[in-house]
Amino acid sequence: MLKFLTHRVLLMIPTLIGVSIIVFLMLQIVPGDPVDSIVPVDASKEVRAQITEQLGLNHPLYIQYVDWLMRSLHGDFGQSIVRQLSVNALLFPALLNTLILALGAGIFAFVISLVIGVYSAYKPKSWLASIGNLIGLTGISIPNFWAALILIGIFSVLFGWLPPIGMKSSVNGGSFADVFYHIIMPAVAAGMTTLGVMTRMVRSAVFDLLHQDFVQTLQAKGLKPFRILLHVLKNATPNLLTVAGLQLGYLIGGSVLVETVFAWPGIGQLIYQSVSQRDYPIIQAGVLIVSVIFILLNLIVDLLHSIIDPRVRGS
Amino acid sequence: MLNESELTNPSLLSNEIKEDSLLKKVWLEFYKNRIAFIALIVLGIVVLSCLLAPLIAPFGPLDGEITDRLLPLGSTGHILGTDEQGRDMLTRVLYGGRLSLYAGFLPVVISIVIGGALGVIAGYFGRILNTIIMRTLDIFYSFPAILLAIGISAALGQGINNIVISISIIFIPPVARVAESAVKGVREEEFIEAAKSSGAQSISIIRYHVIKNIFAKVFVYGTTQISISLVLASGLSFLGLGVSPPTPEWGIMLNNLKGQIFINPLVTIIPGLFIFITALTINLVADGLRDALEINS
Repeated sequence: MLKFLTHRVLLMIPTLIGVSIIVFLMLQIVPGDPVDSIVPVDASKEVRAQITEQLGLNHPLYIQYVDWLMRSLHGDFGQSIVRQLSVNALLFPALLNTLILALGAGIFAFVISLVIGVYSAYKPKSWLASIGNLIGLTGISIPNFWAALILIGIFSVLFGWLPPIGMKSSVNGGSFADVFYHIIMPAVAAGMTTLGVMTRMVRSAVFDLLHQDFVQTLQAKGLKPFRILLHVLKNATPNLLTVAGLQLGYLIGGSVLVETVFAWPGIGQLIYQSVSQRDYPIIQAGVLIVSVIFILLNLIVDLLHSIIDPRVRGS
Repeated sequence: MLNESELTNPSLLSNEIKEDSLLKKVWLEFYKNRIAFIALIVLGIVVLSCLLAPLIAPFGPLDGEITDRLLPLGSTGHILGTDEQGRDMLTRVLYGGRLSLYAGFLPVVISIVIGGALGVIAGYFGRILNTIIMRTLDIFYSFPAILLAIGISAALGQGINNIVISISIIFIPPVARVAESAVKGVREEEFIEAAKSSGAQSISIIRYHVIKNIFAKVFVYGTTQISISLVLASGLSFLGLGVSPPTPEWGIMLNNLKGQIFINPLVTIIPGLFIFITALTINLVADGLRDALEINS
């Protein structure tokens, strides 16, 4: 187990370096001189030279990269260009809010897809299976920002049941019930794609397992259907876990659009605002942090996978 | 005189049937799949009417009377109502679709060409070249795709072509992976061996044997990517990374209208409905195509 862990962690290092290079280069393709976005238009040559010196822009690219990497490793992502705050002060509270939303969306999608997926694998001709089909297809086709607008149209405009924006009420907000009340629509909208993907996954995984020999043996032994289901689920878990882990990663990185519609104060909305304000340090740090979380999530999934199914350790 | 087993033996039959008939067989199978066939017709109608927008749209895409703003669905002269500046929604949806479809289809084509080429090179030549190409592309899997696309788009600056570039970049690694594993499967086949021993050069083996044999797999994978590309592109445009107003495009139209949801919710959701219908029909067609090809292979 320890060997497997070390191997995986060592494999992560080149990946992390590659990711950091891409994130670093991403901002090198920005047209124009970054100094322009900081100094006033009428700044003198001396001021410009001073800022260039300060930002280290007079050094060659690889030195700039190493500098940036070292600072990032120490948790220093620099200053926001537009807002007079450090990137950290903006990024980490937002990250927490995004994790809350991703978790909500994940729970919504995983629970429903498991129920519908398992049921429609057992009874492929039932009406619930048809609904499962529809959900699977809709989930992978629907733009989640549009789903968000439709939810607002129905539950806020038409019925007035749920709040259309924000994460907590402005007065006495912030309790668990209050956040829960605000998270319902964003979680459903953000979880829509995951729901579609997972429903299809669960159905085909369980369906395949149900037609394997060991299930017949269990049936012949006279096991109750529920016990057989437990066996099937245990066998399906490693694959489903892998997909679920990936999906959770996508939810963290992919909720930008949903957060924008619902004004959810997460990392997606922060990145969106930074995009329109051309506040590049925030975009850079945001993409980097989410990617690192994504990589760590994959590592955790691999580890869980190897605990449940020791066979993968060998490969 | 052939006996029955020889008549039904697929390997004997395939000798007589030329390659273009595979297309025909796939089409017949696809045609039998009612849902996929209807989806193809709906998709065709949407695409055609968008392409023909200048001929069939009742108004100009930028013409609007501010006094006519936010008319509801079914208003006289404006079947789909009007937007926040009094412009005809039907007209703008038709014109907008041209850019949305462009940004949906083009990245898939680009990524199939570039990703396919990388995959073929990595898979065919193997060894160090394979390691370099595939491990480099693997790094892209460490990013959530949407975020990477937003990052690249933001860095390149606003513009529909920059959206196309950013989506192409995130689509190249998975296409390369599909192509590479398909090539690995083909590379060990005897006909490649035969071609090699008869002195054919790598480039012509790739051209005549490898590409032909992996094309179906890569193509089917590509069709499933179109809807993702369409939704992603309209999402980036929704964030303001695509065209600037007043140019119509489904994503940005949805963003401009979203503030009106309390006034006229039905008109507000129309651009998104078109994104959804197009993506849905593309997915249905792609599913049908995959099934039809699976039956025939």
